[in-house]
Amino acid sequence: MQKLFARRKKYQALDDKALVELAADDKEAFGELYERYLTKIYNYVYYRTGNTHDAEDLTAKVFQRAMSHIGNYVDRGLPFQAWLYRIAHNLVANWHRDQGRRKIIALDDYVAHALQSEAPDRWTEEQEEQKQLMEAVRRLPEDRQQLLLLKFIEQLSNAEIGEIIGRTEGAIKSLYHRTLLALREDLQRQEDVSAARRLSGKEG
Amino acid sequence: MDSHADAKAQEFADNITAALQQGNSLDPIADFSDGAREEHVDLISVIQGLCDTLVPVEPSAEFAAHLKTQLLESEAGMAARLRKMPARLHIAAILALFAGFSLLLSRRLFGASAPQDMSEEPVATAL
Repeated sequence: MQKLFARRKKYQALDDKALVELAADDKEAFGELYERYLTKIYNYVYYRTGNTHDAEDLTAKVFQRAMSHIGNYVDRGLPFQAWLYRIAHNLVANWHRDQGRRKIIALDDYVAHALQSEAPDRWTEEQEEQKQLMEAVRRLPEDRQQLLLLKFIEQLSNAEIGEIIGRTEGAIKSLYHRTLLALREDLQRQEDVSAARRLSGKEG
Repeated sequence: MDSHADAKAQEFADNITAALQQGNSLDPIADFSDGAREEHVDLISVIQGLCDTLVPVEPSAEFAAHLKTQLLESEAGMAARLRKMPARLHIAAILALFAGFSLLLSRRLFGASAPQDMSEEPVATAL
């Protein structure tokens, strides 16, 4: 048991680069990479698919694919997580294409865990706002969704996000700002539509 | 929007996001946005909404443990075992595969000219 613990400690002390080199032949090294990135990849997939079942299914596929290809991994100076996110991104894109589920995903999962308010009225209002925001996020192009997830969930810097998405730090900063403006406009538009509906409902 | 104003707006959005994520006061940054206050209030509201909505989630412990076991004890083990097999076994496996394909190919090429099996001919049956 102590030996096992010591081995685990040894892997924990290694950086990603060293672990990736070992992982082609050493499953425990891959296990350490798995521990480091499981939650990150799961979060990314969860928010891109909108439900636990598909998030688990796709997360499993990401790591299965990573494990079977890690022997061919070439270090091009990018962080290992960029490679994992690339795999996840491709699998999620395929999932959207194959299933055609993009518009029919229940978004309730997203908001239920995020709300802590104890006042029921305020809770309902917040839930509705968050649902609308999440729907607006999901209407964004894929690269913008990815940017927001990396910025808000992983809280990565623009430089780190740039490494993953394959853009410069300045380009990420600009894209982020444009994404916020697009979201604001989309939300405003949705609000106008809702107001018009309410008005026509009253008149009718 | 000219490039200077654009850069300023991008900087503003970035600073507001960082402040909200770290729980810092927005006052020092909001002073910066004298020009278009209403527009910035809307933007802050969107960023705050994103902070509240996009929160980390944890995979279930059961899923995490199950996937790790599945990864490290099945496929990885099999792949590693295959890789670690002696070279003569690899050669034997390649030869066996080659022999199999050759056999299939020869059957396909020469099998067509072979006489038909009698059992495939229609048989008259007495009623």
